[in-house]
Parts: sequence; C-alpha cells; structure tokens
Amino acid sequence: MIELKNVTKLYGKVIGVNDFTLSLGAGAFGLLGPNGSGKSTLLNLITGQLRPTLGTVHVMGQSPRNNAALFRRLGYSPGSEGLYSNVSALEWVKYLQQLQGMSAADADVAAGTALELVGMAAAMHRPISSYSRGMRQRTKLAQAIAHNPDILILDEPFSGLDPVGRHELTNVLLDWIDLGKSMLFASHVLHEIESITQSFLLICGGRLLASGTAEDVHAMMVGLPNEVALKCNRPHALASIVLGEEVADSVRITGDTVTVATKHPARLYENLPQWLGRSGIEVTEMHSADESLQALFNSLMKMHRGEL
Amino acid sequence: MGNVGAVFVFEWKRSLTVPRMAWWLVLAGFPVFIIGLIRMTIRVHTPMNELQRGLWLGFLFALGPMLVTMLGTMLWLTPAVSAELERRSWVYLSVRPNGGTAVLLGKYLAAVTWVIPPVLVGLAIAVPISGIRDGWEVWCAMVGLVCLSTPAYAAVYLLLGTVMPRRAMVLAVGYSLLFELVISYVPAVINKLTVQHHLLALMMRWCQFELPPAFQSGAAALIGNSPTSEHVLALMLYPPILVAISVFILRANEFSSSAESDV
Repeated sequence: MIELKNVTKLYGKVIGVNDFTLSLGAGAFGLLGPNGSGKSTLLNLITGQLRPTLGTVHVMGQSPRNNAALFRRLGYSPGSEGLYSNVSALEWVKYLQQLQGMSAADADVAAGTALELVGMAAAMHRPISSYSRGMRQRTKLAQAIAHNPDILILDEPFSGLDPVGRHELTNVLLDWIDLGKSMLFASHVLHEIESITQSFLLICGGRLLASGTAEDVHAMMVGLPNEVALKCNRPHALASIVLGEEVADSVRITGDTVTVATKHPARLYENLPQWLGRSGIEVTEMHSADESLQALFNSLMKMHRGEL
Repeated sequence: MGNVGAVFVFEWKRSLTVPRMAWWLVLAGFPVFIIGLIRMTIRVHTPMNELQRGLWLGFLFALGPMLVTMLGTMLWLTPAVSAELERRSWVYLSVRPNGGTAVLLGKYLAAVTWVIPPVLVGLAIAVPISGIRDGWEVWCAMVGLVCLSTPAYAAVYLLLGTVMPRRAMVLAVGYSLLFELVISYVPAVINKLTVQHHLLALMMRWCQFELPPAFQSGAAALIGNSPTSEHVLALMLYPPILVAISVFILRANEFSSSAESDV
C-alpha cells in the first residue's frame, strides 16, 4: 500500500525525514512519535505535498506527486486546522467533495452523511468560526472520509477532543477498518493509537526506530535501563539503599526526588515496599519513566546510534 | 472543469460579505469621486476643445482600465495561494484530483467577473460627470478596454502570487510601479511587454485621442505603429499564457504547511 525507499527530506539544512525505508501492506497502522519527530513531514511525503530530497515514495504503486488518480482514493486529515471561518461545515465539506469530482448534488449528500457520521449533524449549518476545537476535528475527519477513500491518512485526529468525542470517533475509525479499508494514523499519544490498531511504527528524529506490535516493542525494551522517580522524605537514605542492594545502575538526586536507572525494574518494584518499611522512609510519589513515551524513544534512539 | 466551477461558485459566495461588498462600492466609487473632484476644480469651456477632451480621456483611462482594474485584480489574486498557505487550508485543496489547478483557475475566473462590474459602473457614472461630449462612445471604448485589461492584469497578478507566495504583495506592488507605471511609458522595446502599453495604444485609437502636433511624434514613438488587432491579440494572449505558467509553477512547487515549522 505504502512504500518508501531510502527517503530523505531536507528543509535547507534541517532534516525532516532521514533515510526512511518502509513497506506497509493493506490494513491499519499507527505512526507514533513525539512532537517534531517527522510525522507530519512523512505524511506530507506520502500525500504528495512534498517531494523527497532523496529516495522514492509510492502509494498503491504510484508516485503521489500531482497524482489525480491516487487522490481520488485518498482521504487526508492534516494536523493543522486550516478551516474557513465564514462558511458552515456542510458548505466546506461539500466544496471539497466537489473538488474531489462529485456533482453539487452528490457532494451535498456525501458531505451531510459524513458530518452525521462524525456527530456534526446538529451543528453542520453553523459557521465554522462558532465551533469548538473538537467540532473542528470532527469536521476535518468528515472531509477526509466523505468521498469513501481506500486509504485514510490522519494526523493527530483526536487532538482537542473530549473523552466522549474520542470514544465516538474511535468507534467511527474502528468501523472504517472493519470495512477492510486502510489507515495510517499519526499521533504522539500511545494509547490513542492502541485504541485503533496494534500495528505501529515508531518514528523519532526523522528516522524509523521500530515497527511491529506493542508486544514487539516491549520485548525490545527488556534489558534496557528503566528510570523510576521517587519523591520521599529522605532521598539520600533511599539512594544509599538502592545502591547497596545493587539494583540501580545509576542514581540521581534532585531536591526530594531520587531518580533510579535500573535494568531490573521488576526486582526494584518487588523489594521496594520491604526496604521502605525497614528504613522508615516515606515515599509520597512514584513515577515510572518507563511509562513516558519520550523515555521509550530516547532508549530506541540510543539503540539506533549503537549507544546501548 | 467541474471542480473549477465549484471553486468559482465557492469564491463568489465567500465574497458576498459586508466588507467585500463595501470594497466593491469603493472600487466603483473611486473614479466617480476623483472625476467629480477634478470637475469641481477645473473650469471647462463649452464646447470642450480637443486638449480638454484629451485630458478627461486621460483621467478616465487612468482611473478605470488602469488603476481600479489593477487594484481590484491585485487584491484578489496576488494572495490566491498565500492566503490558503497562511490559513493552512492549502493542504485540503491540494490533495484533491487537480485541486491546485482548479483553485487557481476558479479564483482567476471569480476575480475577473468580480472586478469588471464595479469598474464599468464607476465609469458609467464618471463619464457623464466629466462632461465629455461623446460620452457614450467613450464609455463603450472603455468597456472594451476594461474587458481586455481585467483578464490580463488578473493573469499577471496570479502569476506573481504563484511565483513567490510568501512575498507576493511586495512583488505585485513593485511590478505595478516599475513596469506598468514607469517602463510602459518608456519608448523602448521593453514597454511592449507591459499590459499598459497595449491598453494605451488601444485607448488612443478607440477614443480618437487627438494630441497637439507638438506631442504627436513622442506619442508615435511610445505606442508604435502596430495595428489595433496586434494590441488586442497581445492582451488576449496574456491570460492563457500566464495562467498556464502559473499552473505549471504551482504543480512544480512544494507548498507544505508543515515546512520547517513543524517538521
């Protein structure tokens, strides 16, 4: 479905995407990466907005640059808003469907149906300037799906949505996938992608760091240092204990917080209550850096550079 | 062509707002206001002599087919691409089949059809105010000039807006001042490349613009001896050629809203 071969995109001296090779078949995929990781550049290359500096991009076997035939089968919801303020959602989505090649009457029906599907039926006649951010997100999704494309490419589609909105749009997207359609879903939030698909690509610094299922990535992380931050009343005493028990690779004390880097997080979690009970140290807050997506990416970047 | 029509209708609908309609009235009222002011200031002898007629023709030409047409098309089409890029709406248009091309052509047609009516209305009021004796014939000649100048200027500004979207307005103002208002009045080969040169030549012929003998050799050097049909053809060729170049540039360029800022 999507194939990139050694794709590099430079903006002057800034690297947007760096030697990116990827081959995706039909199905739903999550593109996961922190802000500034190159997700939007990658999606712009796939949708033909940008031309790669090096390498080739093919979508359904064709180059996406100025490809009218491909654009008939592609739905794209970009990360930026870019909606006209003085028209209604119905007028705007209808206009885009007319650009897609539909007659005015067909475009009107398609736009109304898509807006209804994303929960905008009640507000679709109001000017877009009166919409909340969540309503704009729904409108953006509607314009991407109204012409019933074969591939749907979404850049941060849940941004600005409330939990109910997320749940509703998750169901819309899951129904979409059940129809056998393909999707590439970009986000910097892991659980957003996990709610849609278990197949994802990890991108950071313009590079593809890993791909596979969530289990695959967790398996890759075994043996890598995990960081645990503990806020307590006697940080130096706690640091002394974890070092003495030989469970920490390094310890850092910042104010009343001890940050422990360990390759044996299970042993740390298992024995910590016992050590605290014995020493009388009170831990008021514990935050596992392992849950932080950035930590995951930092570790993968180090692996990628051969530093781990 | 269906999607060009969609852009045309959409742009026209978007222009039916109070600020845009006010701007329409400003364009129509500008020649009326200026001609009215001059009429109040300058005493006109009756019957009007050839020199005075030439002066009024010059004012009407400068205000209608020249300034108002230039201003109207410049403000509509110079930001044709940059406004979409700044609003970040370009991406929604460009992922449609031939979406960018449709947007350029649709906006071009909307601008031309939007600008011509206020210029003609303004001239229809300004010509009688000027007191020129053959007002109907002059207005008819001005209609022809406006119908040639608007598509030509629109094509020029569309091209400038596509070549350099980020600095389009600066480029358009610079071009207008330097080429259309200065170089077009330089008696050299280069002035034949300007829209203004052809319009001036047509105006002098269609309005029977009689210059005093002392100025006739200078005018001949300025507008040359090319037949009327050549000037008309030149003005009619501007739109297809420049719009085609604009479309080519648009398709060759990268207009991504994510460039650099949100890599």
